Amino acid sequence: MDILYLLIPLSAVLILVIVGIFGWAVYSGQFDDVEREGERPLMDEPEAADGPGARQRGD
Amino acid sequence: MSGAVVHASVSSAEQPLRAEGISPVVDDPLELARFTRWEGDETAQRIGVSSLQLSGMHCAACTGLIEGALTALPGVLGARVNAASQRATVRWDPARSRMSELLAAVRQAGYGAVPDVAASAREQRRAEQRSVLWRLFVGSFLAMQVMMLATPSYVAGPGDLAPDLAQLLNWGSWILSIPVMGFGGMPFLRGAWESLRRRRIGMDVPVALGLVVTFVASTGATFDPGGIFGHEVYFDSLTMFIAFLWFGRWLEMRARHRAAEELESALAAMPETALRLLDDGSVEEVAVARLRPGDRVRVPAGAAVPADGVLLGESGGVGEALLTGESEPVPKRRGDTVLAGSINVVAPLEMRVERVGADTRHEAIVALMREALSQRPASARLADRVAGPFLWVVLALAAGSAAAWSVIEPSRALWVAVSVLIVTCPCALSLSMPATLVAAAGGLARRGVLLSSLDALQSFSQLRTLFVDKTGTLTADRPVLCAAEPIGPDAEIAGEADRALRLAASLARWSSHPFSAAIVAAAAEAAPLPAGGDAWRDVREEAGFGLSATDARGVEWRLGTAAWAMPTGPRDKLGDGAVWLSRAGRGVARFSFDEQLRPDAQETVRWLQAEGIRLTLLSGDRSGRARQVADRLGIADVVAGSGPEDKLATLRAAKVGGEVVGMVGDGLNDAPVMAAADVSVAMGHGALAARRSADAVIVSGRLEGLADLRRSAVLTMRIVRQNLAWSAAYNASCIPLAMIGWLPPWLAGLGMAASSVLVILNAQRASSASANARID
Repeated sequence: MDILYLLIPLSAVLILVIVGIFGWAVYSGQFDDVEREGERPLMDEPEAADGPGARQRGD
Repeated sequence: MSGAVVHASVSSAEQPLRAEGISPVVDDPLELARFTRWEGDETAQRIGVSSLQLSGMHCAACTGLIEGALTALPGVLGARVNAASQRATVRWDPARSRMSELLAAVRQAGYGAVPDVAASAREQRRAEQRSVLWRLFVGSFLAMQVMMLATPSYVAGPGDLAPDLAQLLNWGSWILSIPVMGFGGMPFLRGAWESLRRRRIGMDVPVALGLVVTFVASTGATFDPGGIFGHEVYFDSLTMFIAFLWFGRWLEMRARHRAAEELESALAAMPETALRLLDDGSVEEVAVARLRPGDRVRVPAGAAVPADGVLLGESGGVGEALLTGESEPVPKRRGDTVLAGSINVVAPLEMRVERVGADTRHEAIVALMREALSQRPASARLADRVAGPFLWVVLALAAGSAAAWSVIEPSRALWVAVSVLIVTCPCALSLSMPATLVAAAGGLARRGVLLSSLDALQSFSQLRTLFVDKTGTLTADRPVLCAAEPIGPDAEIAGEADRALRLAASLARWSSHPFSAAIVAAAAEAAPLPAGGDAWRDVREEAGFGLSATDARGVEWRLGTAAWAMPTGPRDKLGDGAVWLSRAGRGVARFSFDEQLRPDAQETVRWLQAEGIRLTLLSGDRSGRARQVADRLGIADVVAGSGPEDKLATLRAAKVGGEVVGMVGDGLNDAPVMAAADVSVAMGHGALAARRSADAVIVSGRLEGLADLRRSAVLTMRIVRQNLAWSAAYNASCIPLAMIGWLPPWLAGLGMAASSVLVILNAQRASSASANARID
């Protein structure tokens, strides 16, 4: 059972690292529009920017 | 824009009240025009009505804080904040205050505020979405981990868990709880601090109190198990509680954002730039805000019209679906009015700008919608008033039970007080009403019914008597001219009918009444009307009667009902439903019209009657004709041949009995009647005056919208009642349990969070598809 004295602090540190990674992902915009990522393979051309201009070119 | 504003923006640099990040650019008149409507006359004092998008609000009590911060400023005449839509409407005097000061005041109160123009509001929504998602994740993910570390102390038998291992587990829970308190709990602590600083009790105060008490006591127990806080830690219930709070807030945020996005997508037809034609024939691209009345603008095919104006050439068609509810493109001729936000469908057109920015009709409709979103209905204001005393009662109960338990069993006193504080959830009380009403308004907007007053839902659900205007409401908005008969001595001369029609049409162009439009349409069909029109002077329109004008020789012509056109004419002709043209009181021509019932009139009337609503047909037409329409629809009560005053009197008489009375109408002559009714609905194609006094506008022009509105109103009120009943029952059952010590804090946290989530989920049903199902 002595291994618990190592594992518990280790897991606490690991959890905080995971939370940090998630924070970076949220604030870099990876969850802003979840649907669009799924639709990306269906698009004819890669989207240049989030502008209406990008869509018009596709039509 | 007034000189006062320009002057004000120059001197803003030496103002003491400035907060970081607020640029004085918002004081630029051009920038102001994007989110401000101006009231009052052009020259003297102007009052600005500005929309602000707020952030950082967690509860209904925050509305009071922000309103207080704004109204404390000199020059602010009034401020209204809606918690559900997170919008503020401020009335302020530009001579005595500045927009940057208003924004700074809101920020100093601890909230975010930006001008409510779509772009920055979208940016703010995105930031809020990220921040809430982040806090929800921190709370829920760490709550799970803390739960795992807490499990051994729940399942271990006496003596199984070594004291130093228990100590280590507690220490681990403490480490993991710190980010939850920091990211998840801080907004509540800050909110509570702000409301205490302003000596106002907000919903955050008991929540923050519970959080702090739980965290401090558990921390004490972790590091000093033998100390005053005992050895029990409650990090698991603390983190779970915060996670649930954020889950509820996340749901609420998504509902709010969806409503805002719907509104924006419906109204975001305005272009960003316009092509201005210069005198030398060249074209320059300018920001729409830079357009001035008198500019000439070219609108490419497929683009939106940037401002209200007049066509300089012919146009194949303009789509005005959003503005008038007319789904077909409307053909326009030289000199016709085009409205900002409509879509130029066929060929490029050129126009002269007449009104820009907040003065355009498009902006008027946008403002109408925003106003509805930032309005707090009477019922929600009631919940706000109840919230304050409610909190005092809760605090008193917590203190009382702590005092009682400190006599009975001192070690449990703290926890009983904490669970009493946590279990009471006034959020359900003050959240349910606005969340439900906003959800219902969003669902209705998708069905083409815009609410300008959220109170309309409540009144419409209690509706007993509905007055329905005939022309343009039950019948198609465009009556068709079926006969033009010249009368009088020249009647037999060939071509006289055509001449009379053209004469009437030149006068009818001054009016937007459906009959006028039909006369103009019939005349234009025979031969295009001249662009300038005839030289009428002193044209005026008497609502409900007709038009009068004098010609070049000073002779008075009248176009309207028989009684109006020929005040001394033969009595037997009165009220025959036709429109008469008269010269100096003598009849010249008679125009009769065909009316068609709207295709959905019959089933809508039957549905409303099955709902137990008494329908009464109000009409200015002669009784025979109104009777005929009523019989076809199965409406028993008809009040025919009435002018605006008579309609008003009839409606007032119906209100005497205390029944909720509604009015559906479209035209100019309905506006005063609508204002007098408890709840009024305007058909979308009607005159703007009628829409202004209407509580709801059926933009789609379908009568079915009435059934949608009724169904949604009834469902909404049922949901609100359910929510109120739920929170009352919940508090009534849980507070005694917590006071006698049967409810541990973690269960209290679960109960409070679950009650918020339940109320919000229930509110979402108001916008669901079943609430808006078609009539079958």
